[in-house]
Amino acid sequence: MKSLLHPSHWPLWVVIALIAAALLLPFILPWTYDQIDWDAVRAPAFTGSHLLGTDEIGRDRLARLAAGTRVTIMVAIAAALVSLIVGITWGATAGWVGGKVDEAMMRFVDALYALPFMFIVILLMVIFGRSILLVFVGIGLVEWLTMARVVRGQVMALKQRPFILAAEAAGTKPLTIVIKHILPNIAGVALAYLMLTVPQVVMVESFLSFLGLGVQEPLTSLGILVKEGADDMDVAPLGLLLPGGVLVLILVCLTVEGERLRDTYS
Amino acid sequence: MTLYALQNLTVEIAGNQLVQDVSLEVEAGQCTAIIGASGSGKSLTCLTPFGLNSGSAIGSMMLDGIDLSNATAAEMRSARSQLTGFVFQQPMTALTPHLTVGAQLREAGAQGGFAFTRSDMIQKLERVGLSRADEKLDQFPHRLSGGERQRVLIAAAIAHNPKLLIADEPTSALDAALRSEIMHLLDELRAEHGLGMLLVSHDLASVEGHADQLIVMDQGSVVESGPVAEVIANPKQDYTKRLIAATPRLEEPPPVLSDTGEIVLETSDICVEFPKPGWRRGKVRAIEDANITVRQGEALAIVGGSGSGKSTLGRAIAGIGPVTSGSIFWENELLPERRNRSLSMRALIQPVFQDPVASLDPQWKVSDIVAEPLINLRSEILKPDRIIKVQQVLNEVGLGDEYHDRSPTSLSGGQAQRVAIARAIVADSHMLVLDEATSALDPLVGAEILKLLAQLQREKDLSIIFITHDIAAARRLCHRIVVLDEGHIVEAGNMGDVLQNPQNETTKKLLAVS
Repeated sequence: MKSLLHPSHWPLWVVIALIAAALLLPFILPWTYDQIDWDAVRAPAFTGSHLLGTDEIGRDRLARLAAGTRVTIMVAIAAALVSLIVGITWGATAGWVGGKVDEAMMRFVDALYALPFMFIVILLMVIFGRSILLVFVGIGLVEWLTMARVVRGQVMALKQRPFILAAEAAGTKPLTIVIKHILPNIAGVALAYLMLTVPQVVMVESFLSFLGLGVQEPLTSLGILVKEGADDMDVAPLGLLLPGGVLVLILVCLTVEGERLRDTYS
Repeated sequence: MTLYALQNLTVEIAGNQLVQDVSLEVEAGQCTAIIGASGSGKSLTCLTPFGLNSGSAIGSMMLDGIDLSNATAAEMRSARSQLTGFVFQQPMTALTPHLTVGAQLREAGAQGGFAFTRSDMIQKLERVGLSRADEKLDQFPHRLSGGERQRVLIAAAIAHNPKLLIADEPTSALDAALRSEIMHLLDELRAEHGLGMLLVSHDLASVEGHADQLIVMDQGSVVESGPVAEVIANPKQDYTKRLIAATPRLEEPPPVLSDTGEIVLETSDICVEFPKPGWRRGKVRAIEDANITVRQGEALAIVGGSGSGKSTLGRAIAGIGPVTSGSIFWENELLPERRNRSLSMRALIQPVFQDPVASLDPQWKVSDIVAEPLINLRSEILKPDRIIKVQQVLNEVGLGDEYHDRSPTSLSGGQAQRVAIARAIVADSHMLVLDEATSALDPLVGAEILKLLAQLQREKDLSIIFITHDIAAARRLCHRIVVLDEGHIVEAGNMGDVLQNPQNETTKKLLAVS
């Protein structure tokens, strides 16, 4: 963990700085993300207290950008956690038990893979109505599949290693072997794939929001901001470039970091 | 005629001098062998003059009249492709996986300017002892066995009629029987083509009888060199003496072994079956009707080639592998299978594995690894006593206090194997099952581990099952021997009797190669 402080992990630091900014800005800015300034509709940048100007109904761009980043990151972290917990549990169980149980569990994963994910999320939205919780659940439920496969492969490889046999001979109970010997040894790989899952989730959430299926107004996310910006890009290109830029920065940084971690651990 | 000569060769990688002042000569038709522990710079000495790794070589390097030290790129290429052939340790990784055997050979011929016809290639494969050569030409490397791959690699290495053959541990990845076959093949080819050969090995026994000149390397420098027979009969340097003493040989006088007591372990008709891999139906019998006994304080060697089922039998006895039928008795009490063994039964028999680094959890500290069996198997021992006990056992296996907080990845192979042995004996076990416990180690380190085991056996009256392919190493420790072939016990008896008067073909073969 100490090694994460090393300068070569700059992408991680960029992301952390972005998150910190998104969390702190509401305390500093005079405007909230849903407050309308009737005196400054479509204001250009550096108009009065609007550092980055306002949108087509007079809401502060910087405040909305911070709010959008918060929501996007929140969805990403929640979905990544779901994928981590479900994926590791599922994959470790399948890999450790093996045999018919493994076959059944992994065919289930294959079946879920085969379902058109976007279609399912849209169906869920139509049936249960739009809610941010549903976005979390829907994305998390799909993203654990890759994690489960990766973890299963790792567990199966580890299971053959002599130190697991030695632990068995030393009288360690199977559950304890999994928790104390297997999980710490796959933590690195799991962390790396987690880093790669987060940008995927950010993409999916932004895509859903772009289609109008994600979070609801006046709450916003980077995807919604991009969509609004795109509608208005001939008049106010800043509205598209800012959220788009933040999104690209987060995605690139997390992907670079994730790939680096994956190369280190696998 | 001197074919290849190195004078004061020094190899540098990233500013570090890894090889210093090595001089050697290879005569046409003769074999020069370089012997040394891992990390002694023997592979660097072979490969760097040909620009085959990132190091830079300084010194005079003459190959058949070409000075490699200031050769142009074209000269270097011709030296590599036409004058020299290379055989590497891992035949699987040395063959290109997506090319058929035929394509590999054709490529090897093309570098020397030959265009092989199919019958040429069949002839070349038959020459290196590959059966059904016609079929093999169209197969991919993964379809061949390890021995077959090594033969293909040799065929490719000599396809363009080189003058010098460089063999970097050509037999280390193969089992004992194959080792001697490959070495004999190399000898024949050398005589036939008048090849000069530079052979690298860590194993003195495999070089004896095949090489003419011997060079002993340690930590990047030549310790001793001269004709093989002379160096082995009359070593001058301390390192060479230790290396020769450490290499187990059948000619050495029989060791003095400790006395044995009552029978403690008895197996009756153990069978182990595995389902066939993939979708095929049916089962493979890995072990059939194995009956063995072990006395208290006795060491039993289970010997066989790879795939003979010796590890499977050891794992079945240690309770970490499956048993299909048959029973195992400890002092006339039945030991149930695998997960049904009670903790006190588990404490009786403990395993030690071949790869010492892989048998220790890389995330744990040494002292935690050794404490693990104590926590489970001797839960009556409280924590303060446990710490003392761990310390005491680590001292017994020759590791001081400074090792307690080390992680396994920072240990050498020998140190890691000592930790594994400490873990096996810490819960006062009565029997150790050692699965090739010294095979992955350098000879010097392996000999020390054998010495440690003999000492522990005397002190603690331990019984030992020593699984190995190397009869000479087993002889240093074991009272009796059991020879396995394809899952059957083909011969059993006292070590001395079996060695002097082997009855079975498998035993004779194994004896001939060690």
